[in-house]
Amino acid sequence: MNLRIIGALISKDFSLFFRNRFFALMTVFALITYLTIYFVMPSSVDESLKIGLYAPVMPPVFEQLQEESLEIEVVESDEALREAVTEGQYVAGVALPADIMERFMLGQKPQITLYFASDTPEELKDAVVVLIRELAYLQTGQPLAIEMSEEILGPDMLGMQIPPRDRLRPLLVFFILIIETMGLATLIGEEVGRRTIQALLVTPMTVKDLFAAKGIMGISLAFGQAALFMAIVGGISGQPLVILAALLLGAVLVTGIGFLIGSVAKDMMSAMPWFLVALIPLLIPTVSVMFPGLITGWVKVIPSYYLVDTLHRAANFGAGWGDVWQSLLMLLGFNVVIVWIGITALRRKFR
Amino acid sequence: MSLKRVGILLGKDFLQGPKNYIFVMAVVLPVVISLVISLVFGTLFSEKPKLGVMDEGSSQLVTMIRELPSVVTKEYGTVSEIKQAVESGAVDMGIVLPEDFDNSVIQGEETQITAYIWGESLAKDRTILGVTIANLVRELAGQEAPVEIEAITLGDEVSIPWNDRLLPLIVLMAVFLGGLLLPATSVVNEKENKTLEALVITPTTIGDVFVAKGLLGIILSLFAGIVILILNQAFGAQPMLLVLVLALGAIMAAEIGLLLGALLKDWTTLFTVWKLGGILLFAPAIVYLFPQIPEWVAKVFPTYYVIQPIIEISQRGAGWPDIAVNVLILAALDLVLIAVVILALKRTKQYAV
Repeated sequence: MNLRIIGALISKDFSLFFRNRFFALMTVFALITYLTIYFVMPSSVDESLKIGLYAPVMPPVFEQLQEESLEIEVVESDEALREAVTEGQYVAGVALPADIMERFMLGQKPQITLYFASDTPEELKDAVVVLIRELAYLQTGQPLAIEMSEEILGPDMLGMQIPPRDRLRPLLVFFILIIETMGLATLIGEEVGRRTIQALLVTPMTVKDLFAAKGIMGISLAFGQAALFMAIVGGISGQPLVILAALLLGAVLVTGIGFLIGSVAKDMMSAMPWFLVALIPLLIPTVSVMFPGLITGWVKVIPSYYLVDTLHRAANFGAGWGDVWQSLLMLLGFNVVIVWIGITALRRKFR
Repeated sequence: MSLKRVGILLGKDFLQGPKNYIFVMAVVLPVVISLVISLVFGTLFSEKPKLGVMDEGSSQLVTMIRELPSVVTKEYGTVSEIKQAVESGAVDMGIVLPEDFDNSVIQGEETQITAYIWGESLAKDRTILGVTIANLVRELAGQEAPVEIEAITLGDEVSIPWNDRLLPLIVLMAVFLGGLLLPATSVVNEKENKTLEALVITPTTIGDVFVAKGLLGIILSLFAGIVILILNQAFGAQPMLLVLVLALGAIMAAEIGLLLGALLKDWTTLFTVWKLGGILLFAPAIVYLFPQIPEWVAKVFPTYYVIQPIIEISQRGAGWPDIAVNVLILAALDLVLIAVVILALKRTKQYAV
């Protein structure tokens, strides 16, 4: 392998890329767009039910109610409560009658009025009804004959939930990486189609030099953009080395796939369907991060699982080398196989 | 311009189209995405808390939980299964009901329920599930609720389920994937293969070629849009009005496609533009997904004026007076785009005739 030739090829590919101001500008714009999507997404999770309460007489059970999941705000009048609910300040408004305690003591059923905004989901309405009923049971001293022993499985994220935009982060990074697959596949496909690769191979450049140059070019572009994105969105502040290692392996993965698609594509048009064939299954693991519990163990047969899982755990839970080494090793294994298949397929095409 | 020549060119594109990947993708992909989103993602975005139940006996409580409209219920056969489901986040809480649970509750004996809670479940979901279980146990025990509750709904806003929120995205994809990409790729392809130059040497004008390519995009785009609305049962009470809006949207898509075709010289550049432009085109649908984002953000993007009337008609039963302003803006945008396409064609000296 000749490093001088590889260097010359890489610098040629890069200078071609950046000489085209349009390409360079569009790549920057695309990155800005992904960043905008990230920053537009909610940055926090509202874990609590905000309820307005109008209570001429405050029952002790309502007064003592201080849970992390409930934010009860007392309002001064029924009218104010209705207004606040209509304006969406509360998911529900609870209006207690003035004689609530007397009725409880007489064993009668007081009537509690609940106000909901019309766009409150039905499940939330039902939940508030159930909640108020339970409070009434507690107020009237009716004990529950069961004891619930609770066990939290996994890290308890109460009060420090992962915001939607951070759950979306692995998906956006994966998109940044995978899009480069398409560019690389097209570049290779076109060079094969125009026979410029065969022309290059007539020179002292070997097939190994060519793959090394294209590989480094693809990896640098994919890794550079993904790393920059993660740095801007604060994704590498916790475990920088783990994240960068995962991104590098991810860039190798997409480069290998780029080789593979480049071996069957003649141009961008013919690369597109193969790109989609690769993209759809590779995207599935990102769904499992955004919607935990949806996908079962079979997702582990998809190479990108080990990338998004590592990114998710390292960036959102601060997982270190000890927690993710197995995933990184699996990703490395997949990379070796995919890059080898890609190179073999391309070599056959050159012949 | 010769209508006959436009017809011949259009016929050729329709005949050759199915051999083109983009043609197939433009028709098939929105349908596949629509089916996937409607069948899978529609239920994923549910905000209901999820409760897992494992019954070691045959408790009535399981049936009562199953009938709850406010909770998504899943049943498991073993403790390890339910623990695995909780750990993975498949359910927010998993409860294990001991044998003879019902009798113990009815007789008022102290009974223990084991509850596994997913660490990432929201505080409000934990509370809702906790009080729901408590309420059902009281019901099972025959306890009478000590209050009467009257629920009053205020205002006239309607809650939008996720299935409906996703509809604009699917419709935009259907209309713009084919409507924009087909004319754009078709023109760029002809440029790359030098067949466009060959065509304009014949009596066919560059205008004939562009009109034929534009019509191809409009027809396919309109077809895909109608299919998606039928698949999603979103045709509403004003089908003709909906078709009119879809047609104006299809025209916009084709015009943008032709503009890209006129300005860009190769596939690679087109793809790069799509990388950015695609996101901008779909931005109003993304804004619609998140009601927290103010609506004015969506109004900045031209596709807002396609999607807003469609939502109004299909989801809110709107008629012409409600959507007239947006439809007129859409029509005006179409006219402006036609002028821009003509200008771009005139400036492209290479093909000017």
